[in-house]
Amino acid sequence: MRKVWREVLIFAAVAVSIPIIILLLIRFTPQPPIGEMDYAREILSKAETNKADTYSKKLFTLARIYYDSAMINWQKENKRFIYLRDYDKVAMFAELSSKKASQADENSISSTTNLIIKVKQKINSLKNLVAVINQLFTTYPLSSEIRNRISEGKMLLEEADIAYKKGQYLQANRKMTDSEYLLTASYDNATTNLKNYFKSYPVWKNWADKTINESKKNRDYSIIIDKFSRKCFVYLNGAKKYEFEAELGKNWVGDKRVKGDQTTPEGMYKITKKYERNKTRYYKALLLDYPNDEDMEKFKSEIANGSLPASAKIGGLIEIHGNGGKGIDWTEGCVALTDQEMDIIFRIVKTGTPVTIVGSMIEFENIVNR
Amino acid sequence: MKNKVLMGLAAIAMVAVLSSCGKKPQVEIDATNAAITAAQTAEAAVYVPAEFAAVQDSMKVIMADIAAQDSKLFKKFGPAKAKLSSTLTLANKVAADAATKKTEVKKEVETLLTEVKAVVEENTTLMKKAPRGKEGAAVLEQMKTEMATIQTSITEAQGLYDKGAFMDADNKVKAAKERAVAINTELKDAIAKVKGKTAPKKK
Repeated sequence: MRKVWREVLIFAAVAVSIPIIILLLIRFTPQPPIGEMDYAREILSKAETNKADTYSKKLFTLARIYYDSAMINWQKENKRFIYLRDYDKVAMFAELSSKKASQADENSISSTTNLIIKVKQKINSLKNLVAVINQLFTTYPLSSEIRNRISEGKMLLEEADIAYKKGQYLQANRKMTDSEYLLTASYDNATTNLKNYFKSYPVWKNWADKTINESKKNRDYSIIIDKFSRKCFVYLNGAKKYEFEAELGKNWVGDKRVKGDQTTPEGMYKITKKYERNKTRYYKALLLDYPNDEDMEKFKSEIANGSLPASAKIGGLIEIHGNGGKGIDWTEGCVALTDQEMDIIFRIVKTGTPVTIVGSMIEFENIVNR
Repeated sequence: MKNKVLMGLAAIAMVAVLSSCGKKPQVEIDATNAAITAAQTAEAAVYVPAEFAAVQDSMKVIMADIAAQDSKLFKKFGPAKAKLSSTLTLANKVAADAATKKTEVKKEVETLLTEVKAVVEENTTLMKKAPRGKEGAAVLEQMKTEMATIQTSITEAQGLYDKGAFMDADNKVKAAKERAVAINTELKDAIAKVKGKTAPKKK
C-alpha cells in the first residue's frame, strides 16, 4: 500500500514538474524582436507606397538592406541552440531599417511635392517660351540647326507633359530638363542675334522719321520698308496711306554686305528707274540706288579691314518688284509685293521717290512684350 | 527505479516531440518565391506595380512569421503555410495581370502608331493644299521641321516597341500624336479660312 502511494506521489511530482520545467524553458528562451521587425516592415511598406523607392532611392535601398540583414541574422540565430541565440543584431538592424525607411518616406513625400510643383511650373514657363519663340521667330531666318533644336525641344516638352499627367514625375523632370536646355539655348542664341541686330534701332528710327518728314515737307509719297514686321508703308504728306505685306531676301537679317548674300540692304534710297511689265520678269519693278555712297564707303572699309575678302563685290539691282505673296522670304535681296499691290505703288511713285529700308520701326522690347 | 527512468525519458521525449512538431514549410516558401520571381519576369513591377508591391509585402510578413515561429520552442507553421498558399495564388494572379496589362499597352501603342502615321500622312497631303500667302509659307516651313521631328519620334517609338519597352513607347508615340494632331488642326483651320474668304482684301 505504501509502495502504491509512493508511486502516485512520484507520478504527481513528475506531472507538476514537467509544465514547470516547460514554462521555465520558455521563460528563459531568448525572444526575437518581433515588434521591432513588424514596425520596420510597416514603415518600409508605407515608404514604398509613397514611392520612396523612386523619389528617395538611396535611403529606401538602405532601409531595405537593413531589413534584409535583420531577417538574415534572425534566421541565422534561429539555427543556433535555443538558449544560445542572441537577437541583439536583429533588433539593431530592424531599428536602423525603420529609421531609414521613415527618413526615406518623409524625404519622398517632400521631394514628390517639390518635384510636382517644380515640373508643373517649368512646363508652364516652357510653354510660354514656346509661344514667344513662335511669335518672334516663325519668319526669322534661323539656322536649320536651331529650328531643329526648337522642334526637338517642343517634342520633349510634350513628352514631359504626358509623363507629368501620368504621375511619372521623375521622367517628366528628365524630359523637361532636356527640353529646357534645347529651348532656352536656342532662344538665347536667336535673341542674342536679334538683340545685336536691334542695336541699330536708333539709326533706323532716325531714317524713318526723316523719310516721313520728307513726305510731309514735299507733300509727296515716300516709302518705308520695315524688315522685321515685313511691311511696306507708303506715306503721303507725312501720313500712312498704304500698308502692304513685303517679302525679303532669304537672309534678311542685317545689312547687305556683299553680292550674293541674299540680304535686303538697309538705308535711305531713292527710286532710280521704273520698269513696266515687259521690262522685268517680276511683273513690275522699281529700281533703287543701291549701293549709295554710304554703302560704298562701308563696303570699302570692310575690304580694307579684311572683314571682307578683296575679291568681294558689292552687289546691286535692288528693286521693289512684283510676284510676291508667296509667304516666305525668297528674293535675292529685293523687296517683293503682290502684283496688285505693285500696281498701286507703281502708279503713285516716281523716279526720285524716297525708299527707306529699316530693320524695324518698333523697338525690340516692344516686340518681345507685344 | 526502472519506472522512474522510464518516466524521465517519457518527459524528455514529450518535450522533444512538442518542440519539433512544426517543420519549416520550405517547399511552399520556394514555390511562392518562384511565383514572385515569375511575376517579376512578367514585368509586374512595371505594369501592375501596386499589386506586385502587395505580393512582396505579403511575402515579407510570412517570412517574418516563419522566423518568429522558428524562434519558438514549440513551432507552429500551419498559419504560415496557409498564407503562403494564398500568396502563391496572388503572385500567379499578379503575373497574369501583368501579362494582360502588357498586352493592353502593346495594343494601345500599336493603335497609336497606326493613328499617328495616318495623321502624318494626312498632314503631308494637307501641306500641299495649305495657303502660302502672307506668313503661311514661313509657317509651313516651320511645320516641315516639326513633321521631321515627329517622324524621328515615331521611329524611336517603333524602336522601343520592337524592344518590348511598351510603356516608354507609349509616352513617346502619344507625344508624337499630340504634335501631329496640333499641326493637323492648324492646317485644317488655315485651309478652312481660305475657303471661307470670298476674295482677297486689298489695302
